[in-house]
This record gives sequence, C-alpha cells and structure tokens, in this order.
Amino acid sequence: MSYQLTSTFLGFFIAGIILWLIRRDLLHSRHAAWWLVVALSIMLLGIFPTTIDWLATHLGVNYPPTLIFVLGMGFILIKVIAIDIHQSDLERKVRRLAQRLAIFEAENKRSK
Amino acid sequence: MLNLKDVVVLIPAKNEVNTIGQIVSEIKELFPITVVVIDDGSSDDTTIVALDAGAIVLPMSFSLGAWGAIQTGLRYAEQYGFKIAITMDADGQHKVDSIPKLLEKLEDKQSDVVIGSYVERGSPSRHLAWSFFRKLSGMNLEDLTSGLRAYNHKAIELLSSKSASLLDYQDLGVLLLLHRAKLRVVETPIFISPRINGHSRIFSSWWAVSSYMLYTSILCLAHFKLFK
Repeated sequence: MSYQLTSTFLGFFIAGIILWLIRRDLLHSRHAAWWLVVALSIMLLGIFPTTIDWLATHLGVNYPPTLIFVLGMGFILIKVIAIDIHQSDLERKVRRLAQRLAIFEAENKRSK
Repeated sequence: MLNLKDVVVLIPAKNEVNTIGQIVSEIKELFPITVVVIDDGSSDDTTIVALDAGAIVLPMSFSLGAWGAIQTGLRYAEQYGFKIAITMDADGQHKVDSIPKLLEKLEDKQSDVVIGSYVERGSPSRHLAWSFFRKLSGMNLEDLTSGLRAYNHKAIELLSSKSASLLDYQDLGVLLLLHRAKLRVVETPIFISPRINGHSRIFSSWWAVSSYMLYTSILCLAHFKLFK
C-alpha cells in the first residue's frame, strides 16, 4: 500500500467525521465554516500529500514534515485562543444575566 | 446637602446568617437609608433573616463571587437612581458608624470613591503583598482590599458597566478601572472589629492566596502601560 493511499484514506476519514458532525447540526454555523475549511484542507492534503513538499521548498523549509506540524499547531493555538475569548464573552453574559435576574426577582417579590 | 434617600448600602452575603440580621437592623436603626443584601447563593437562611431585618434582598441564582454580587447591587443602585452606594462586608467587621465618615469624605466633592482603610490589620506577609501590588500598579493607596467603600454616581455608572463584569474581587481590579477612567479615589481611616464568623475569602489557604496573587499580578500587568 502506498503512503498516498493511506493519507487519502485518513483525509477522507477525518473530513467525513467533520462533515457528518456538521450535518448532524452539532456545530453552530459559525464554527461549522471553520471546520469545513479544515475538512477540505485535510482531504486535499490527503489526496495530494506532495503539496506540502512543494510549499515547503518555496518557503525555504528543509524538512517538509516540520511545516505540517508548525502550521497544524499554529492553527490549533489560534483556535484554542478563539475558544477562550468566546468563553470569556459567554462568562460575562451569563454573569450579567444572573445579575439582572436577581434584580427582577427582587422587584417581583416586592410588587406582590 | 446630602439626602439620605439617595444612599444605598450594599452588603454581599454568602451564608452569613449569624451576622447579617444584626448588621442590617443596626444600619436601619441609625439611618433612614435603603439596605440591599445580595444573597450570593447561600445555603442557609441569610435571605429570610435579611428580609426580616428590613433589607431588600437580591437573590443570585448561583454564586458569582464577592465582586459579582457587589456589581449586582451597583446595577440595582444605578437602575433605581441612587446617587451614592456604600459597600460593606457581611461578616460584622465593618462598624456601622463608619458610614457617616465615608459620606462626609465623599461630600467634599474632591473624590468619586472613598475607601475605608484599616491598615493595622494583617500579617507581615499580607503587608508585603500589598506593597508589591502598590509597586506593580503604581497606586498609592494603603488598603487595597478593603470592602468598605463609598461610590458616587459616576463610579456606580462605570462599575456597573460590562467592562467590570469579568472582575472577581472588589480590590485592585476595580481600583485600576477607576484609575483608568480618571476617577479620584481617596482613603479615610476606620476601625474594624474582629470577624464574628467566617474568614477572608481571599486569605483562606495557601492555594487561594497564590491564585489570588497570580490573578492580581496579571490584572496589574494588563494595565501596566497606563501608569507610566
């Protein structure tokens, strides 16, 4: 079995899981867009693994697999930071909602 | 002349059933002002006792921590048009007769926030932590963690806004925010009684102290440029 077959299979497998999750409506459309791009790139890189060699040569990277790791980890970092920012935003909203609820509850009790 | 109808006292309370009733009735006896107790997810009868003593109670659905509770009170104050908000601890440390002192100082119009500071308290290590944070933040206040404070309307407006919603304690983070908005913060010395029950939420264990120090250092660093 050639390594190209393996990478094609892996690419389709991972992309398939992502697409299945999107279709199951488990991901908010905003996140779905990001993951759709990820799925497509994994598929393309799986079918044409030499793309990374070509890219590495043009970027002056001697050992192409490092480029894959650097790019991969870079994107993971960006994604994780984006999650934390989003999480902080949600935390702020939940707190303010709880505060408003407490004020409303007090009002409600007094007007009874 | 200050109208006491424009003043609200905010007391965040979590499981303070032993002290909260006495504090509220003491305030009510001495001054005709509104007292709001923010019940920060207590599992005891804090709410009932506070209501019986004549306070308005804001019941949090879940605990938001000390600052989250105080901010709820500040939002209440803002919504109901109070001009001055005084915050007090619920554990009986703060004396009710400190309230006029704070109001007097705030009345001078020279300040937007008055902190009731008690510097004699605390171990050497706590003082070391404070001087560290004074250096780091560039602020010249003696008592950075005092929970006895008076805020005028400008300060209430700022602190009830979204920008203050991700803070966790009513201390340096709040002061930094006030400082950045160019509000004037002054201190007035007060006396405090020993805690009747409970203990400091911040200085409860080594783990809590460490995470508090780290949290506050990060806050200071995030605002660092502003003090150059």
